[in-house]
Parts: sequence; structure tokens; C-alpha cells
Amino acid sequence: MSCDEFKPLITGYLDDELPPEERALLEDHLADCEACARELAQLTKLKEELSMMEFKEPTDAELARYWRSVYNRLERGLGWVLFSVGAIIVLCYGGFKLIEEMIKDPGIAVLLKVGVVALVFGTVVLFVSLLRERLAVRKVDKYSKEVER
Amino acid sequence: MILRSQAGQKEAFGIIVKRYAGAAAGSASLLLGSYEDALDASQEAFVRAWRHIKRFDTRFPFFPWYATILRNVCVSHLRRRARRRTVVLSDGHAQASAESNPVLLAERNERRDRVWQAILALSSKHREIIVMSHFQGMSYKEIAAALGIPMGTVMSRLHSARQALRNELTDEEP
Ligand SMILES: [Zn+2]
Repeated sequence: MSCDEFKPLITGYLDDELPPEERALLEDHLADCEACARELAQLTKLKEELSMMEFKEPTDAELARYWRSVYNRLERGLGWVLFSVGAIIVLCYGGFKLIEEMIKDPGIAVLLKVGVVALVFGTVVLFVSLLRERLAVRKVDKYSKEVER
Repeated sequence: MILRSQAGQKEAFGIIVKRYAGAAAGSASLLLGSYEDALDASQEAFVRAWRHIKRFDTRFPFFPWYATILRNVCVSHLRRRARRRTVVLSDGHAQASAESNPVLLAERNERRDRVWQAILALSSKHREIIVMSHFQGMSYKEIAAALGIPMGTVMSRLHSARQALRNELTDEEP
């Protein structure tokens, strides 16, 4: 095995993630390869340095504000679902009612009738397509993948 | 707490959120290089975690599972930002460097600030694996699951990330 093949093992060794056979193999190599031993020393130092960088623990007030913000988003998420379902029902129902009434009314010009029908159908199509896009984006975002296990 | 959260109790979930908020916002600020974006992304990740909490396997620790979600949220953030940045190129860069101070570190000194900047200077692939391994305490197995890559790739990628970080730091040495 060459040094290049040994080098990634140094990282596994450092993190105690190597199986015993590879570990023994690397230890043998480290005993008489100065370059790899130096690499281990440098990376050990780096790891120690990183381990000393700790995140600040937020204050109680910060935590309360943080949670309130998450909580509001949880509520808003539910709100959006209800709003969308409601809007679709109202749009469809109201749209068809409107068209029905208008067709019956002889006092309204045919051109206007056509216009309103197009407007209502257009709105419904746009809304559905927007909704579908949102759902598609969710899938692309690998929603399902992040919850495997 | 997780079991109670799975039963739909938001207060129980609140205790979990508060327990991990510091680590969540801190690691997000390393992934995104911006404190404001980090708050937003880490909160968004908690919202997604809540929505999927029933699918969480309680035999495993919570944080690596959350970190996986957080990573995906941050990736979308960066993608969106990249799209925006092509529009306002100069603005975006000035902003990023001004915001990237390690304000979320418990103790700061010159050296740690420099390490922080060096991590931000890494490629996003290297940065995320450094964050997972060093700041989120994830095992190779957990990282492999989070990134959808084999364990061997975790080791070799982490190795080249550390090498890149080391080189970044020795380059800056006066
Ligand atoms: Zn060697």
C-alpha cells in the first residue's frame, strides 16, 4: 500500500472509526513512515483545535424568542393548508354558481359572459398549477429522504 | 419528550427545540456564513422535524436526525442565495463577508476567528462534512446516512476536507 492509500485511514484512525485490521496495518506503517506520522500529528492538532470551538448557549430570553418563532411557523403551516383547501372549494363553487346565474340572465352581453367564464376557469387553473408546483418543489427538496431511518 | 412530541404535544417539542437551539443555530451559521440566515434555517428545520416527528425512530439520538434535515434546508438556502446572487452580484459578496463573524461561538479569540473564516472558505461539500463531524458530533455511520454516501466515502471526503482546512490555515500563517 502506498502513502496515498494510507492517508484517508489516518482520518479514520483519528476518529476511532477503523476496523481492527486496518488499524493494525496503519500503525505498522506509521512506525516507519515519517510523512504519514507528520500528517497524523497535524490532523490531531487540527481536531483538538476544532473541539475547543464551542457554540454559545443561548440565554433564556433568546431561547423563548427562538421557540416562539418556531411555534408561530408551526401554526402558520397548518393555516396555509386550511387556507388552500378552503380557497379551492370557494373558488370552484362560487365560480360555477356565478357562471350558472349569468348564463340564465338574458340582460348580459354574450361577450361579457364569455369573458367571465374564461376569468373563472383561468383563476382555478392558475391556482391548481401553483399548488402543484409547491408540492413538486417539496418532492425535489428530498423531503422523504431526510426522514429515512 | 420525543414520545410526547410524537403524540402531538407542542410544549414537549418546545423543550426539545430549546435544548438543541444553540447547536442548531451555531452549526447553521457555519454552513451558511450568516447569523440571520442561520436563525431562519434552523427554525425552518425544526418546523420540518415537527411535521415528520412521527417517522423519527426513538432508538436513535435526536440531533443527528435533525442535523440531516438542517443540512437539506441549508442546501436549499444556498441554492436560492446563489440564484439571487447572480442578480445582485456585488451586493451579495459584500454582505456575506460582513455577516460571517463567528458571533455564536462561546469564546472567541483571534485564532478561533481565523479557523472560523477558514471553514467558511471551504467548498460547501467540505464544509458540511467538517460541521457534521466536528460541530454536530456525528459518527461516520450517521454522516453516511445523512448524505446518502458510503462509509468509505465519508472517511475519504472528511480527510480531504481536513487537509483543505489545514492548508487554508497554514497559508494564512504570518
Ligand atoms: Zn506513509
